[in-house]
Formats: sequence, C-alpha cells, structure tokens
Amino acid sequence: MTPVTQAPLVSLEGVAKHFGTYTAVQKMDLQIHEGEFLALMGSSGCGKTTTLRMLAGLEAPSEGVIRLDGKPINDLPSWSRDTPMVWQSLALFPFLTVIENVEFALKMRGLGRTERRRRAEQWLDRMQIAEFAGRNISQLSGGQRQRVALARSLVIEPRILLLDEPLSALDAALKVRMQSVLKTLQRETGITFVYVTHSQSEAFSMADRVVIMSRGKIEQIGTPQDIYRAPRTRFVADFLGSSNIFPGQLTRDGQGRPVLATSSGDFALPAGNAPGIAGQAASLTVLDTRMQIHPQPPQGARNSVAARMIGEEFVGATATIHFETDNGQELRVQKSHEDLADLSLAIGKPFYLSWSPADGHLVQE
Amino acid sequence: MRRRLSLYGLTFSLPLLIWQLLFFVFPLVFLIALSFWTVRNFRMQPDFDMVNWTTMYGRAVFWQAYATTLTLAAGAAVLTSILAFPVAYAIAFKLSPRVQRWAIMLMVIPFFTSYLVRVYSWQVFLSDAGIINVMLGWIGLGPYGLLNTPGATLLGFVTLALPLVVLLQLFSLIFIDRTLIEAAHNMRCGRLRTVFAVVIPSARVGLVIAALFAFILSFGDFVSPIYLGGGDPTTLSILITDTTKSGQQWPRAAVIALTMIATLMIVAYLAVRFAYRGRK
Repeated sequence: MTPVTQAPLVSLEGVAKHFGTYTAVQKMDLQIHEGEFLALMGSSGCGKTTTLRMLAGLEAPSEGVIRLDGKPINDLPSWSRDTPMVWQSLALFPFLTVIENVEFALKMRGLGRTERRRRAEQWLDRMQIAEFAGRNISQLSGGQRQRVALARSLVIEPRILLLDEPLSALDAALKVRMQSVLKTLQRETGITFVYVTHSQSEAFSMADRVVIMSRGKIEQIGTPQDIYRAPRTRFVADFLGSSNIFPGQLTRDGQGRPVLATSSGDFALPAGNAPGIAGQAASLTVLDTRMQIHPQPPQGARNSVAARMIGEEFVGATATIHFETDNGQELRVQKSHEDLADLSLAIGKPFYLSWSPADGHLVQE
Repeated sequence: MRRRLSLYGLTFSLPLLIWQLLFFVFPLVFLIALSFWTVRNFRMQPDFDMVNWTTMYGRAVFWQAYATTLTLAAGAAVLTSILAFPVAYAIAFKLSPRVQRWAIMLMVIPFFTSYLVRVYSWQVFLSDAGIINVMLGWIGLGPYGLLNTPGATLLGFVTLALPLVVLLQLFSLIFIDRTLIEAAHNMRCGRLRTVFAVVIPSARVGLVIAALFAFILSFGDFVSPIYLGGGDPTTLSILITDTTKSGQQWPRAAVIALTMIATLMIVAYLAVRFAYRGRK
C-alpha cells in the first residue's frame, strides 16, 4: 500500500481544462504517489481521459499546476517528459514490426542499435511475445497487441505509466487475464500506474486507490473497499449500483434521535454518521447484501419497508431479488440461495425488507 | 446460385468492360499492329515488318529523347512531391475543418483553367522581355534566358501536376490515425522527427501514388516541352509529332507510343510495389 508520508510523484493543484465554453475538467486537486496503482473511473465525458492526457502533455491545463517530482510540467511538451501512455486503440505503428515498435522510444533517446535490440528483446520476453518479434502488427491477436503496447511503453522503464482504457477492446475472458498481467507487472516493477476506465470491476480489482469522477469533478478518492463501504455522495452510490438509496431529509424523531425522513418512512441512522443540521437533504444508502427479507412485518426492527417482489436474477451462488415499494421505488436484495430457501419467493408477493441502522450509510446529495 | 451471382455482377461491370475494350484494348491492338506496317510513297501499307522498331531503336536521337523525358518526368515527380508536401501537411494538420474545406476548394480551382493558358502565362513571366527579367533589370541583373530551358519545362510539369499531387497527398495525410502522432510525441519524438518517423511512413501509399501521377502526367506531356522548353532537348512527345509530320511515319510514331506505354506500366508497377512493400 501507499506510504502517505512520502511526497507525491505527481500532483495536480487546482487543475482545470476548458475547451471553448465546455469545461472538461473542473478545478481538481489530486496526488499520485510513487508506486501506486491509481484508477480514474467514471462514465464517458467525466473528464478522466482529459486528466490523463494532461498528465501525458497531450493537452495543456487551462488553469492550475501539474507537478512531477515537485517540478511544474505544465509547459513541457509531450516529447520532453517521460510519461508513456497506452492508448485505447493501442496506437501501435502499423509500418513497423513488433520489435521495431518496442525499440521506437529507445531509438528516440539515441540508444545504439545493439543496446536497443537487447532491451526490446528483454521486454518482449517478459511479455511472452518474443516469438512475434519480426511480425507485423496486423498479424497479431488482440491480446498480443496489448502486450506489444505495454512492452513499447515500459521499455524505457519509466516511473509512471498512463493507461487509457487499454482493455476495452478485449473479450471478457482475455480482459480478466490481462488484468492480472497488469497488476502483476505493476507490483513487480513498482512503476506508478494511472489507469483510466469506465469499468468498476477493472478499477476495483486492480487499483490501490480509485478516483471517481463525474462531469469533470472528483466525486470521491479512496481505496476500493472504502468507496464500496462508504460512498461519499449519492452519485458514487448510484454509480457503484450495489446499494439501495433512500433520498430524504434529516430530522429528529420523538426521542430526539437523528432520523432521515423519506417517502418510504423515517429511518434510523448509523451512530457517528449523522450530521447535525436538521432539514438538510441527504440520502441513506444500504448495501444490497445487508438487507433482510421477511414474509411478515419484522418485530423490533427500526428500519423496514413494505415492498412487492418484482423479479429475480441468479449469478452463481447468489441471487438478486428485486422489489418495488408502494410509492414506486425499486429495491434490491442480494442473498445466497440457502438464505432464500424457506421464504417461498414469488413474483407479486408482498414482503418486508429491513436493515440494521449500523448498515446504513448517509451520503450527501 | 453462383451463375446468377456472376450474371448479376456482369450487369454492372459490362459498361466498364465495353468501355475498356473500345477505348483501350482495341486501340492498343491497333497500335501494335500499326507499328509493323510500312510506309511507301507516303502511304501506309498493312505489313509485318520489324523495320520501324529497328530504325527507331537504332537512332541515338530516340534514346536521347527517352533519357530526357524519363529524367524530366522523374524530376517533376520528386520536385512536385517535395513542394506539395508542406502544403498538404499544413492543410491536413494545421487548419480547422472549416478552413480545410476552403483550402481543398482552392486546390480544385486550377483545374478550371486550361493547362495551355497556364503554360502561356508562364511565358509572360519567363521570356527575355518578361516580367522576371524586367524586374531583375531594375536591380541591374540579366536578362537571363529563362524560357526554352529544361528548367522551364520542369516548371510547366510542376504547374500541371502540383494541384493534383497536393490533393492526393492531402487525402492520405487526413486519414492518418492522429493517435499514432500523439504516440510518437509521447515517446520523445519531436515534431519534425515525427513527420519523418510516423507521418510519411503512414501516408506512404498515398505519397507514392501522388508522385506516380506527377510522373505519368509529365512523361506524356507535350505542351510544356514545346512552349516552355522550346522543343530542345527533344522529348518523346515532341518526337512523336516530328515523326508523324515528316513523311507520314505513323508506324514509327506507334513504336514511340508503345515504348512510352510500356515504360509507364513498368514505372507504375514498381511504384505500387514500393508503396505496398512490407504490407500484408
């Protein structure tokens, strides 16, 4: 994990990017630490790729300062900084062979022919594509091209590698395999990876820290576990899609305890997660794995809602049951098949869903 | 099924096929036959005689004209390509899409005026009492004999081919994947170096085809060698007119024409092979 005390390798200070009147990235602060695997995640148009391109020097920030090793690099053109990037399209040179592609960056650095070849061969070997050295790019499969692109960027042994959705063109099985290749590579080399993706599974399975962006703004920065357990904003909770979300207003119940008044009822809040301002809008999120299903109104449960079952889906050992409350809100509960065995589930049947106040998590609107 | 498919395909290719037969294959066959005819008392007679081939190929003037034409056309192809590239590059990479459309239109405008007119207007510039020599005279230079030189012929060839070469180069540059250029920059390849390391190799097919067109247009051109070059040194196109004028020697002109066609075919084949070298 990342030692926080160390000075950051890269820092973005109040960095913003405008294209004409369109703001791609709003003023953002972000620190990237040496040796970490950082994922920039968000849906398309959220500014993640623009942020990456600013790091690579392919876009100049409109505002703010980008520092590499403490030194401002705003005005450094792309060809004067060592921030190799792996493109979504891979951007391999079709007019060069595999090994010539890998040698390219070394050639630009003025390395001699034999040294170039030796280092390129080393990386081809490491990426297990040595046998394709003399081939044309068009003769390679998607996975092999991926490895060439990685070798081409890593051959200069940079301190940071930028990756722009490099796996999006691969099929599901290959994607998973390349994820483990990438993660292992990052761990072994200790090179800082900045990985742009719209895929939650990619970000959460590989990254040490995840930055979730929306509309050019950072919504949350944290470890995958932290973000999963405690999304900071409603957007993050929505984006992750693994929580039920109850929007409402903060207030207090008859005994003065903080509750959230929602259209489905007043819900008790987890201790220590209840900001004091009554009347403020907020949302309560509850992970779909933390909800209980009851055939009768549960006794003694402080948080429960009545809902009709509207569907179910099975993925492996778990099932996700979909419900709808009387006021039309959809809720989901994820359980193992054993837990569901004696509930006699049926579509259209009324149930009661409950959760412990401690499993709720309050987020900002 | 296969039969019906081929019939269907034939319906569309038939007009082209007929066109090719009427205006390429038949004339070519006739030209070949003609080159074996003989001329007696200023009259052509169907014959099968090698005399035209041996006469023409035995003359030094033919080979000199051949070498001149080949050199001038090759020079025009290289010169036009070099002159056109910065223009095409700037239009492709430096202009906004709106200005780009205007620039493309401006490149089409030269085709509106007759090539002959454009060549004549060069005479106004190049002749001994022309604009250039008058202006040089003001600073006490010249006059220089600019007209009726191989250089003037070359200038005419460039005038003929430049707009087309710019357009052909432009269309191969526009379709270069921009991320390749960014990737080069990203790997410490500066702007100028990227042009040679990435842009030119990426656009190679288009650039070679553009140069080939400049060669083809110049190789067969008659206007520039006669009106700007003054017919000296003689090119093959001038030799053809001279041959037909002197004693109805159409069969000998056919020999020259066939040699030119063969040369163009060989050059085109070599150019295309070079353009696609290493591609699979």
